Amino acid sequence: MPLLPISRLRGALRGLATATTTTTPNPTYQVFNRRTKRLQRSRSTQNPAHSRATDYLKSEISLRLIDRIQDIQRPFPLILDLGAGACHIARQLPPGISSRLEKLTCVDMSRELLYRDAELEFNDNLPIERVVADEEVPPFAENTFDAVVSSLSMHWINDLPFTLSSINRILKPDAPFIAAMLGGDTLFELRTSLQLAELERRGGVSPRVSPLADVRDIGGLMQRAGFKLLTIDVDDVVVEFPDMFALMADLNSMGEGNAVLAREVGPIGRDVLMAAEGVYRELHGGEEGRLPATFRIIYMIGWKEGENQPKPLPRGSGEIPMKDVLEGGNKG
Amino acid sequence: MSTPSRPTRPIQKFASAVAKCSAEMSAYGRCVVADYNNIHKDKCLEEFLKLRECVRSGRKKRG
Repeated sequence: MPLLPISRLRGALRGLATATTTTTPNPTYQVFNRRTKRLQRSRSTQNPAHSRATDYLKSEISLRLIDRIQDIQRPFPLILDLGAGACHIARQLPPGISSRLEKLTCVDMSRELLYRDAELEFNDNLPIERVVADEEVPPFAENTFDAVVSSLSMHWINDLPFTLSSINRILKPDAPFIAAMLGGDTLFELRTSLQLAELERRGGVSPRVSPLADVRDIGGLMQRAGFKLLTIDVDDVVVEFPDMFALMADLNSMGEGNAVLAREVGPIGRDVLMAAEGVYRELHGGEEGRLPATFRIIYMIGWKEGENQPKPLPRGSGEIPMKDVLEGGNKG
Repeated sequence: MSTPSRPTRPIQKFASAVAKCSAEMSAYGRCVVADYNNIHKDKCLEEFLKLRECVRSGRKKRG
């Protein structure tokens, strides 16, 4: 009933032990139930006020992502937003980017979420195209886009290597892929509290928080998918909640409920919930009784290979020893 | 999860009942956290029963 996110290097091992019920490109890599995820996203919009009230995380991360797009001094006529949700990036796009835009294609597998804000004002001034499709398998032709962006969506992708390769394929040569995804220690407070409470109450644990990709995994994944000139960095966003129930309710309203295939079906029992609330407070609680929840955001930028693109020099071709530069810089 | 559009969700009533038992909650939390590398089923049963009793009686009064 509660939780989040992602990943996949360990997918190969995990897949063998997991029941598979959905069809995706590579059945070996199945951690998440994509059908469940689509339903959760669609249900989250049944109360649009609730749903919009929990946009804070996606809005904030979209802004930070847009910041990174703006750092690149070139026009992007055709942009693809993969896993767009309610088109958070489109809504916040600054004139600098939108004025040079021919078309922004928003893709999400939930029609309800994708069209949640279709009537709002920002749509009028933007050439937006909404496409309902599973972002695990982006349905576009080779060499189509000048940039592909993705904000807080890729943590639900089962076969990350496959999807990253697909993204590389649909990019034009020398075009960037710019993404933010949840990773690593995201929601570690909730994870640990539920685990301890479940151990003490029931003598075992069920996966309540998704497995997530680690920063260290991302570089290798991007490289394998053919991306060049990688930039990867990490940012922690800590949100405070009055109690664990508020955190879990918000996650549900974001459409970020648990969709791990191996999860125990049905809501978490109330005994475990009240126990976990006690552990959360004791282990992580702040002085004013507020409970912090950490979201670890991994940002990645990778470029599709292209002509005239700067390339790393061959190994061993450096003429100035790094040691001199570093020591010289330190000691004057 | 099963009643997404009802304005007052049962879970919210439950949450506020739990919130009223802060003493019992922190007693239970302290017990679990005290030696969390060595946790086992019913390690803090006594503290938990007090917490559950408090939550249950709080819910009855309110209902």
